[in-house]
Amino acid sequence: MITTHALSSAKRLAARARRVDAADLANRLPRLVAGARQLAASVMHGVHGRRRAGAGETFWQFRPFGAGEAAQRIDWRRSAQGDHLYVREREWEAAHSYFLWMDCSPSMAFVSSLALDAKIDRALTLGLALAEVLVRGGERVGCLGLTNAMSARDIIERLACALLDAGEATTRQELPPPAALPQRAKAVLIGDFLCDPQSLAERLRRLAANGATGCLLTIADPVEETFPFEGETEFLDTDSSAAFHAGRAQSWREPYAQRLARHRCEVEEAAKASGFASSLHRTDRPAAEAAMALYMRLAAGVEPR
Amino acid sequence: MGAFFFTAPLALAGLLALPLIYFLLRVTPPRPRQVVFPPMRLLLELSRQEATPARTPWPLLALRLAIAAAAVFAMAGPVWRPSALERSSNAPLAIAIDDGWPAAPSWERRAQAAQTMIDSAARAGAPVALLAMSDGALDVSAEDGATAQQRLRSLRPKPFIPDRRAAAARLAKFAQAHPAARIVWIADGLEAGEAAVLGAAMKDAAHNGAEVEVVTDAHVPLALASPANTASGSEVEVLRAAVHEPARGRVLALDAKGRTIAQAPFDFGAELTTQARFDLPVELRNDIVMLQIMGEFSAGAVALFDGRSRVRRIGVVSGAGADQEQPLLSPAYYLDKALAPFAQVRQARAGVADPTAALLEEHPDVLALADVGLPPGETHDALARFVEEGGALLRFSGPHLANAADDLIPVRLRRSDRVLGGAMSWQTPKKLAPFEPHSPFFGLAVPDDVSVARQVLAEPELGIEAKTWARLADGTPLVTAERRGKGLVALFHVSADTAWSNLPISGLFVDMLRKISALGGEAGARRASGAATQDQASAPQTLAPLRTLDGFGVFGAPPPTAKPIAADFSGRANVDHPPGFYGAADAPVAVQTLAAGDVLQAMDYSTLGLRRQNLGVDASVDLRPALLAIVFVALLIDWLVLLLLTGKLRQPARAVGALCVLALVGAMAPRVAHAEPPKSVASPRDRDAALATRLAYVVSGDAHVDEASRLGLATLSRVLAQRTSFAPGEPASVDPARDELAFYPMLYWPIAATAPQPSALAVAKIGTYMKQGGVVVFDTRDALTARRGGPPTPETLWLRDLTRRLDIPELEIVPRDHVITKTFYLLDGFYGRTTNGETWVEALPPEPEGDAPRPVRAADSVSSIVIASNDLAAAWAVDASGEPLYPLIPGGARQRELALRGGVNLVMYTLTGNYKADQVHARDLLERLGQ
Repeated sequence: MITTHALSSAKRLAARARRVDAADLANRLPRLVAGARQLAASVMHGVHGRRRAGAGETFWQFRPFGAGEAAQRIDWRRSAQGDHLYVREREWEAAHSYFLWMDCSPSMAFVSSLALDAKIDRALTLGLALAEVLVRGGERVGCLGLTNAMSARDIIERLACALLDAGEATTRQELPPPAALPQRAKAVLIGDFLCDPQSLAERLRRLAANGATGCLLTIADPVEETFPFEGETEFLDTDSSAAFHAGRAQSWREPYAQRLARHRCEVEEAAKASGFASSLHRTDRPAAEAAMALYMRLAAGVEPR
Repeated sequence: MGAFFFTAPLALAGLLALPLIYFLLRVTPPRPRQVVFPPMRLLLELSRQEATPARTPWPLLALRLAIAAAAVFAMAGPVWRPSALERSSNAPLAIAIDDGWPAAPSWERRAQAAQTMIDSAARAGAPVALLAMSDGALDVSAEDGATAQQRLRSLRPKPFIPDRRAAAARLAKFAQAHPAARIVWIADGLEAGEAAVLGAAMKDAAHNGAEVEVVTDAHVPLALASPANTASGSEVEVLRAAVHEPARGRVLALDAKGRTIAQAPFDFGAELTTQARFDLPVELRNDIVMLQIMGEFSAGAVALFDGRSRVRRIGVVSGAGADQEQPLLSPAYYLDKALAPFAQVRQARAGVADPTAALLEEHPDVLALADVGLPPGETHDALARFVEEGGALLRFSGPHLANAADDLIPVRLRRSDRVLGGAMSWQTPKKLAPFEPHSPFFGLAVPDDVSVARQVLAEPELGIEAKTWARLADGTPLVTAERRGKGLVALFHVSADTAWSNLPISGLFVDMLRKISALGGEAGARRASGAATQDQASAPQTLAPLRTLDGFGVFGAPPPTAKPIAADFSGRANVDHPPGFYGAADAPVAVQTLAAGDVLQAMDYSTLGLRRQNLGVDASVDLRPALLAIVFVALLIDWLVLLLLTGKLRQPARAVGALCVLALVGAMAPRVAHAEPPKSVASPRDRDAALATRLAYVVSGDAHVDEASRLGLATLSRVLAQRTSFAPGEPASVDPARDELAFYPMLYWPIAATAPQPSALAVAKIGTYMKQGGVVVFDTRDALTARRGGPPTPETLWLRDLTRRLDIPELEIVPRDHVITKTFYLLDGFYGRTTNGETWVEALPPEPEGDAPRPVRAADSVSSIVIASNDLAAAWAVDASGEPLYPLIPGGARQRELALRGGVNLVMYTLTGNYKADQVHARDLLERLGQ
């Protein structure tokens, strides 16, 4: 028997529910922060440095001097050892700005008996861990619409505080805030994206207006993917008081699957249109898997074009 | 009222609620399973076209309505009672109903059957005639149903079996008047009371065209008859009319207040009669007023005990003396044999100075004096008082009586020189004359072979005729009696043995004694109740009914129709004399429902050729349990359907399995939680200690000392087993704080000054042990170091500290004449490793002044404390090869032997106490006896 569980009562009055939710998040944040640290450590274990020539302090390699290059780049100490001229290259050390957005809308506060974690927990863990890894890698990370990009050792705490302090109106949105990003900034959007694909596309366009790129990570509960319900069932919404009564729930499995596939397709289209990468993560999979994939994807995505 | 009816029809009003239930069920469909689902938006887009079922499915609705209706019907208590007695014809109905006591146990069913028939006849408008057998004299007339019902309600079973002849005549008349009538006989199944006559009348009616039925009940009546209270036990015959289960039962014995005194089982086996027997003390049996078959409520199942059936207590005194060499020739022997069948015979214990007075102490009903002369004195006065207060004095003549007649005899005896020894010898033995009507023996048959060879003669005087109860053929009085005060004095002019006549070995003797003892018993009972003022001579010859039984065997006031009985009434109860008690309240006479020798004869209805029906036990079927079961099952089904509808039951098999497991667990659970058997309190060590008597030593804590104690006591135990009859077990080591001391007669306590003082608990236990008779032998082992008058040794100080906390009596050094020195060996002192130490025991009481000096003195009890200082155990101790372990001071085998002898004396003193103090006086005692 599959049970689903909204982290606060499903049938609720809007005002009361928000209060409950805020307290709920405050209660769970310390645990999530710890989880994020752990996750970040495991990700950093597998990734090391940029291994790429660039504007940095540390030595990277010597290469033969090419014709047409500025003469002051020649490393005379090395060149004096032989007949050829060499150029000392330093490691690429440019700091990028990353902006995270984690969906905290009511639809994220959901967990089924098949999942390991609530969607919102998973999103926050992933986001904070990613922030930690990026900061350790020399990048600056901020919360989209909440903070500036910063490079602090306690980035996790800072972001968590920012999330808590943020007005509910901001965090409850199921779409990323319509802020314009700096030119070379990157946006990481984590959420379930069960919103209208059109408005999502419009928001992404706004984000990418200055040339920023990023990626979308869709968090999905396995129940949302497989629709394992049977028999007479009443479905309740998390955001609104909408309800849907299915006489035989199993008969809805096929249409739902098709509709979900179409929705996912539309979300991907919207992402692609703005130059965002998109991926899917199910909460019955371990978080480290998603974190590693996300990080590698980001690392790949910052290759100068 | 039909075959199907409700016990609580008002509950059917609940059916009115069904439409409401229907409405409510219709608008409240089963609640679906609720699921929170975030992608509702996608689902809602899909679901524009489908509508949800808002109504309960109709099969479920029907099921639930059926459950509600079934519950309402169950509340109304539906009963299905098929009855073959109902008939809806308007032919006149005559019901002949047996209302004797055999009908009482099943009276409810009989009345119900009659009621059913009257009801159905009344519905059909047919006239009804109700004919009770006891009302046989009344005319039978057809009346309407209501009147018949009223008469039926007033009918009660009678405590006797009515004569059916009159009723049969009436019935025949009714059958002639109404040839097409329906005649039903609700019969009790017994032939008694001329059932055959009624059967013939019914048969005739059937010939004349009447529709005739016999209705019987499956219950076979049981009855009690001939209750007898004999000297050895109470017996009653249990009768039944036919072989029928159950063959076993119990008879209750009740006292005057209706309390159960005892129960006795009976088992018919395959027989029709059996016996129930009560083996109880006489005093209890004399309290029995009625016997009743348990669960059989009829007058026939009750047997009554009156004053006549009380078991008398008869004291027998023989003048021949208790130390007679030939007990079989003693008069007491013949009296004992003759009285034993109906009375409890008491004889004075051998060696009692005055057996008559001793027996009077036991308050007998009758005192039989066989050839006992009564010189004036206390005994004579006590006997006179006994008679005045209602006792019966029964005397037999003999040489003593003939020589010294006193006034406690009914007639004056003739003294004649002509008669040798005061008695008269007949030339030819004389026969007995038949008894006269005024004699209590009247009615007893006089056997021819009883003859009297010798007897004492009564002085002919005025009134001797009235006093004579039995006489010889020539008119010589043989038994004379006289009432004195409330009591009675009777004299047999012959002896109670066979020397003078063979009357004592005849059956007549037993009957005569029985009559006399009954008279004496009545007087005795009156004496006991203290309410007797009536003189028997002036007592009426008829006895008025006092309390009578009704048909159900319950005591009540006598009905107005009950008539007094003659004093000698015997036989079964009838309409004029219902069973019960008659006469005065203090000495009632019982009239039994069944006379002695009655049997219950079952009526054979098959020969009548009539249609026969059975009332049955209870044919009605209560439908409530079945309905409730249906409700329960339907609820289960409803639940399962709901589970299926809401999708919660995905795998029916698994759910059913879970249900089964739940049911199993529920059934097993009470068995799992059974109580663990209580553990035995005694430890194995205590059990061993209790199984064999053994010596014990107190652990001092010093391993050296403890080893010496153990080996020493082991040696002593061996020596005890060799030399005395006491074979102790292995010595035990005890810790007074921890171990139970009660098992050890003696504790050897070697004192080690280094040991800690025992705890308060241990001291308390030691104190208790000593108070309860235990002996503690302290051994300070300091004879070597102690100096008389010098400072006390550490061991002595340790012991002082201990004894200060104990309750110790005054002590003294063992005197030479103390019994402890003489319990097995004659000893001068108690030696151990040393010989100079003193041994202390409880001080003996001072020797009484003036007495001759005794060789031995002892207190009343054993000295609870002995304090030695010679290190006894070390002197006893030997190793495994029998070699002594410790050297002795001054030494020698003799000292070791004396040490062991001291130990033996100590143990013997512990076990036998001051017994030896008596033994050593044996010579003095023998000398005194010789003088």
